[in-house]
Order: sequence, then structure tokens, then C-alpha cells
Amino acid sequence: MAPQVFIEIVYFVMISIVIGFIIAFYIITRKRGGGRPNPANEGHAEKKGMEKGEKRWLIFLFIIVVVGNILMLSPILPSSQYALWLKEEPKITITIEVRNYEFVFPEKPITIPAGVPVEFIVISQDLVYGFGVFKKDGLMVFQMQVVPNPYVNRIVWIFDEPGYYDVRSTEYSGPKHPYLYFPDAIRVVGG
Amino acid sequence: MDEEERKRISIRFVVVSLVFLALAGIEGILMRLRLMNTLVEFFDEKHFYSMMTAHPFVGVYGWAYMAVMGAFYFLVPYILKKDIYSKKAAYLSFWMMLTGLIAVWSTTFLTHYAPLYTLYWPIPVAYTIIGWDLYSILAFGIGVGLILGGVLVFFGNMFATIFLPARQMDGGPASPWYIIKELLTTAFNLDKIKAKITGIPQYTSKAFNYPVFVVAVFRGCVDTTLNAFVIGGVGILLAAFAIGNLAPSISLSTSMVDPLVYKNVFWWGLDLIADGNVLIFTAGTWYLLVPLLLNRTLYGENVVRTVILADLVVSLFVWNHHMLADTPQPIFLQIQGQIFTWGELLTMGLTMFAVLATIWFARPVKYNMPLKFVLVSITGYAVGGLAGIIQANYASNRFFHNTQWVIGIHGHIQLLVGLSSTLFAAIYALFPLLTGKNLSDRLGNIHLILWSVGGLVMGLSMGLAGTLGMLRRTLYPMGLGLYEPYMVVASLGAFMMATGFLVFLVNVLKTVKLKDLLKIIF
Repeated sequence: MAPQVFIEIVYFVMISIVIGFIIAFYIITRKRGGGRPNPANEGHAEKKGMEKGEKRWLIFLFIIVVVGNILMLSPILPSSQYALWLKEEPKITITIEVRNYEFVFPEKPITIPAGVPVEFIVISQDLVYGFGVFKKDGLMVFQMQVVPNPYVNRIVWIFDEPGYYDVRSTEYSGPKHPYLYFPDAIRVVGG
Repeated sequence: MDEEERKRISIRFVVVSLVFLALAGIEGILMRLRLMNTLVEFFDEKHFYSMMTAHPFVGVYGWAYMAVMGAFYFLVPYILKKDIYSKKAAYLSFWMMLTGLIAVWSTTFLTHYAPLYTLYWPIPVAYTIIGWDLYSILAFGIGVGLILGGVLVFFGNMFATIFLPARQMDGGPASPWYIIKELLTTAFNLDKIKAKITGIPQYTSKAFNYPVFVVAVFRGCVDTTLNAFVIGGVGILLAAFAIGNLAPSISLSTSMVDPLVYKNVFWWGLDLIADGNVLIFTAGTWYLLVPLLLNRTLYGENVVRTVILADLVVSLFVWNHHMLADTPQPIFLQIQGQIFTWGELLTMGLTMFAVLATIWFARPVKYNMPLKFVLVSITGYAVGGLAGIIQANYASNRFFHNTQWVIGIHGHIQLLVGLSSTLFAAIYALFPLLTGKNLSDRLGNIHLILWSVGGLVMGLSMGLAGTLGMLRRTLYPMGLGLYEPYMVVASLGAFMMATGFLVFLVNVLKTVKLKDLLKIIF
């Protein structure tokens, strides 16, 4: 399963809980009594510090923040694994130059062996572009922004599935942007 | 300015903001249809992207900002029991916003100038490559400058209203430096820090002299003022570039600006809207409306002032979550952006907790329209905020960046179900105060259901397409393929929202005759 599809499932479970909670909250608070008297009417102000419930909620959120960050920076996802944890040097470097709405590829298709770290270097001579690699069914594999000169944009990836991949500019660079689409630009072999 | 005049200016802002919301909605529906490769003979790519450029300006500055301004021009003096500091500045901010928005909208509509709201350098000025007209760059730049100039005039007026003594009292210092000093001291609790350093025990900071809503107003205004300086500055930069190149002996090159530094400054400034206008103002409005409607004090009122301060501080360091796909950006900045963005889960989570706890302890609750819209707004922020936290990670951004996920589930659900529902809550609550009449609850309920369900359906469908790889800001001339069913469902959601908005307009016009409304405004 692609990582984004897994994340999407987790997300939909979470928002189902949120929406279900709000509906239940609305029904319960509308019908049932049992609230607290208003502190102002009781002649005393609320406590200056946090209440117990609020403290527990803050601790719960804090744990989510810590766990979430650790997970997202760990090698659990290929994108962080290749960018932050890969010890192996890239075996192949592919340089692509972009100028005046043209992507100049070193070969057509670019042929890459599966299971090997490949470095993509994309250099724009004029505008902001994007560099995105997609499976044939449209699913995105990875992408990066292409910041124009004097910047050099690099990304390392390991393809694990052989086959053809499309390249598309993933950033708007003017009204010609939709036509920056290059089907079958990459061919992954072996694996 | 007497209360009647404040009501009039408030209504004027709100009515114009609703016109801009309608305009943004029409643009959204037309773009959606074009995205599905219909109306191709009416809209070429240039026209589509020029509409996409105008859409966020109209939606954010025309609808959200102007509605907020209208509400604050009435509420801040009402709560502080003193007049707006400057009547002239109030009218000036209205006309600057209006003319600026008309300039931006008409430039994109008439000339098809289409740099998009992101304005990534050098796209807005690359006239030799993209074929923009220099006069359209100039008009657009002036328009952006006017909008953000109007925003600055509004916030200056708000700060003066909050921090200066009433003019009639004819006392106290009135210099801008005094206001800035008071603002920084109160917004960032500098007096409390000083008291701690100098060893004053039990010191209560100046922020406690103000109601929570007003604290949210001036702390949110710090963010939006910084935003106005940055985006207004970009507008001036574009205008200056156009003037320079229109002059016969000068030729300015696009290389005069570093694209990565520019992008950092731009996102630092732009993201402050998300925190200033969207999160902090929303929190402030909830903190005002919920206790008022339930006739009880806000749960944890002392804590929420600190939460707003935390939100203000966090907001200054989150811009890097927009730069996670920029590989020349230093990696430590990207990771810092990720971690600070998660921090918003704490601040927004505590805000929601305070509001829900206030409602919970008031049970049984008689829900009126503003309170129902507040609940919908909390839902919108929870659904959209979670999506934001998911995409703003170094790892996941590789496949979420610039997809329909970002703009659908995060952007549109936050803005339409989250922020707009708060604005509708404020409008439903203020309507009787401003006009002396009540809106129909039956039509209000239809509006609420169509708006919220439609918004969720539209945003979630866009998000699902984004997970499959569908990009934002991209037309698919060869066909949408796998993404098409999601776009059909998203269109149904959009039409539901449009119908909900029409029901709201019918409700307003059934309650206040158009003739009477125009009489109040003019």
C-alpha cells in the first residue's frame, strides 16, 4: 500500500471520531442537565491555573506532538529514510535542465535500475517549476520544488518497482504549466 | 463617531464582504467546471489562471478580512465602551480595501495577468518569458499595495482605539510610538517578563486589564500587521519593477531578487494570516460569543490569554512548513518548521477545549444559530487542522505538497467550514444588534446544514483526489482519469454550499428589505 493511502485511512478514522464526538456532544449538551453553576454568579473567580481536565488534555496533546514528530522523522516513510537516514551514496546521478518551459532529459526514457539510490538534480534557468514523478495510474511517488538559478535542486530516491513512470511539473510556472507533462519519462528495470 | 454611525460602517463592511464571498464562490464553481474540462471554449488556460489569481484575494481579503473588520469596528468599541479612535481612518480603510480589490480583480479579469497568489519570484515579473503586460503588473502591484495599506490603516486604528484614552477625554499621549510600545508590551507580556527580572512578586500583566476578546484582537493584529507589511511590500516591489521597466532608460532584471530568500520572506509573511486572521481571531470570536450566548464566564479564562500569546509566538516560526519541498532550503529549518507546526495542535487544541468545556458546563444548552455555527466551525478546524498537521511533515510533504489534499481538506475546509462558520456565527449574533431584527432560525438551519455538509463533501473529495496524486493549480487537458469521480462529488459539495449561501441571502432579504439595507449603508 502506498504510504499516502495508509495515512489517508488513519486520517479518515481520526476525523470520523471528531465528527462523531461533535454530534454526540451536541445531542448530550442539548438534552441533559448537570452543568456547573457559573463561577461568576457564585461570587468567586475561576482558578488562576489550569484545571485538572485541561492539564490532562494538554498532556495528551503533548504526547501526540512528540510521538508524531518522532514517527515523521524516523525512517518509517521512504521519503524521510532516503533524505535523513540513507548511508549509501547515490550510484547514479541524473541531471535535468529546465528552460523556457522545456525539460531537457539526458535520455528518453531515463533508464534506472531498481533498488539503487539515484540522485536527481534539476536546474531551472528561468522560472520556478516542480519535479514530480508519478506512477502510470497517477499516484505520486515523490516531488520537489525547482527553485531557479543560482539554486540546484537535488533529491535521492530508490525505486522498488520496475516499470514506466511519468514526470510532471508540480509547481505553477505560468499558464503553460499544465503542458509540462512527460509520460513514460523514466523506465525502471530489474528489481 | 456615534453608535449609529459605527453600526452603519460595520454593516457596510459586512455587506461588501458578502458580495465578495459570492464572487469568490462563482469563481470557484467556474474553475471547478473548467477543471473538469467543461467550458473549454469559454476559458483558455490564461483565463483560468487569472481567475485562480483573483479567487484567494477576493475570498481572503474581500470576504474574510472585510467581515472581520466590520465585526471589529462594532465590537471593539462596544466592549471597551469607547469610540473608534479615528472615523476618517475607518472610512479610509474601507475605500482602500475596496479599490485595491477592484484593481486586483479587474486586472486579472481584463488582462489575464496570472501570477497566482503565491507570487513566486520571478513569475509575477517574468514578462519577457510568460508574456505579461507591464501595465498589468503595475496595476496588480498597486492593487495589492492598496489592499494591504487598507489593512494597515485598519489595524493602526484598532491599536489606537484599544491603547489610547478616548479622544473626548483629551488626555494621554497620542504618539504612534506610545501605541507601538503599549502594543508590544501587552501583546508579548513584556511587562510580566520585566517584573520577573526585577523580582516583583505576584505581578499581573497588563493583558489582564483587557477582556479576552480584545486580547485576541490585538495579538491577532500583530500577526496580520506583519503580514500586511510583507505582502504589501511585494505589491510595491511588483509596481516598482513595472515602473522601472516602463521607464525608457532603466531595465530591471529578475535576478535582482534572490528567489529562495524571497520565498522565505513571502511565506513567513503570508502564513501569519493563517494564525493572525484565521486562528487567533477565530479563537477570540469564540471566546466572546460562547460566554455571551450562554451567559457564563469562559472556562479557563486566565489560561486562554496565555494560549493566545503562545499562538502568536508559534505563528512567527511556522513558515518553513511551506518550504518542505524546497531542497535548497537548509534541512534544520525544515525540521524546525515541522516541529513548530505541530505546536499549533497544542494551542488550537486548548482553545477548542476551553470553548467546549464552557458549553459542557452550561448544559442543558439552548442552541441558537450562532452557537450552532461555532460548533460547525470547531469541526471544520479539527478536520482541516488535522490534515494540515499531516501534510506539514518533512516526510509526508514529498507526496502531499501542492496536491488537492493541501487546498481541499486543509485549505478549503479550514477557510469555509472553519473560518467562514465563525464569521457566520458573528453575523447571526450581530444582526439583531445592528438592525434590531432577528433572522429566521428555520432558514438559518438550512443554511448551516447545506454550508457545512457541502464544505466537508467538497474538501474531503478534493483531498481524496490529492492522495491519488491530483495536483492543485493544474489543469488536466488530457482528461482527469482516476481523479474525475472525486471532482464530480466535489462539485456537488460546492453546489450545496452555494445553495446554502443563497438561503442565507434570502433570510437576510426577508428580514431586512433591500431598500432599508441600502438606506442603513448609505
